[in-house]
Amino acid sequence: MAGSQSNWRPPRSCDVYWCEFKHCKSLFNRFHEYYTYGRAPDCQQWKEDYYTCKEWEKNHSTQAKESLQESERKRVAEQRKFTPVWELRQTPPADWHMPLNQGKPQDS
Amino acid sequence: MAQNRGEEDEFINKAPLQESRETEEERKRKEEEFGYGLYPERSGSGSRFKQGSIGESLFTFRHKCHIMLQVAMDTSPYAKLLLGAMKSSGCTVHKDRHFSCEDCDGTVSGGFDAATSQIVLCQNNIHQQAHMNRVVTHELIHAFDHCRARVDWFNSFRHLACSEIRAANLSGDCSFVNEISRFNFGLKEHHQACVRGRALRSILAVRKVSREEAELVVDEVFDSCFHDHAPFGRIPHNKKDAKFAYRDYENRDRYYANL
Repeated sequence: MAGSQSNWRPPRSCDVYWCEFKHCKSLFNRFHEYYTYGRAPDCQQWKEDYYTCKEWEKNHSTQAKESLQESERKRVAEQRKFTPVWELRQTPPADWHMPLNQGKPQDS
Repeated sequence: MAQNRGEEDEFINKAPLQESRETEEERKRKEEEFGYGLYPERSGSGSRFKQGSIGESLFTFRHKCHIMLQVAMDTSPYAKLLLGAMKSSGCTVHKDRHFSCEDCDGTVSGGFDAATSQIVLCQNNIHQQAHMNRVVTHELIHAFDHCRARVDWFNSFRHLACSEIRAANLSGDCSFVNEISRFNFGLKEHHQACVRGRALRSILAVRKVSREEAELVVDEVFDSCFHDHAPFGRIPHNKKDAKFAYRDYENRDRYYANL
């Protein structure tokens, strides 16, 4: 079979791609894309991903797998296209779970 | 604290408590400079009524606030996603520990108190479930930022502005319907204008800074923070968007394993 991961499956199930495509094309979303970004949404990729997903389901082709992976990696990269203003933590704040002291100063 | 003006929530930037008791002067300064004055129950005087008393049931909206909060946590896809994301980040939210229903001054709806890691809900100013849902979402975004990043609420205007931009952007504060209800009519890219405006108002409300300076700070961080959609992965314009985002969040293990 194709690929080193024989238990690979598409990052999203195929019906989710179709769902996202329909949602993207909806009047509501088209309005909000304009309201937010002043442009029309680009929905074509969702449709292509749906057909690629279906193709993978049918014959498990490497090409379909790689096409889907590339598309999703692009989406992830798009979501990360900004320089963070702050430094991310490795661990949560120490005092998040500390009990409240009613009116008394807390030790940090 | 960051406060919400109008029907909005703002972040309460509380200075971390020092080892010694603060003087009356220091307390007053905190009230004026960091907005604690709007949250009288936080700044030392406490509630007028004893907790659980008849007076409290008769004269405050605390019970209603708690019920609406529970409904929000159970049914709002925005809130459920944020609560899940915070749990994954190690900051499990407990209703009794991390939320507080209080009477607030003016028209403030809520705030996030970083010193006590608490979200304040202004029980006297939130009377509808939809409003509660939005306030909870907004404040949870501040709490989420506090949890996952080293946010210097106390000293950094940039960090404060960034969290306010994100909260206005992702909580539905600047939805078309909400803006229309405020008589702010706009279409093309109006969402961005709204987010800028609300972040600006938030900073001006809690910091003694000129409008020009605040505008500079917002401009400086806007591009970065407007495009930071964590943990939603998109700007949720309505419940359906939020449900899709929640579905993606629940599916995240499969998603990243197969990238």
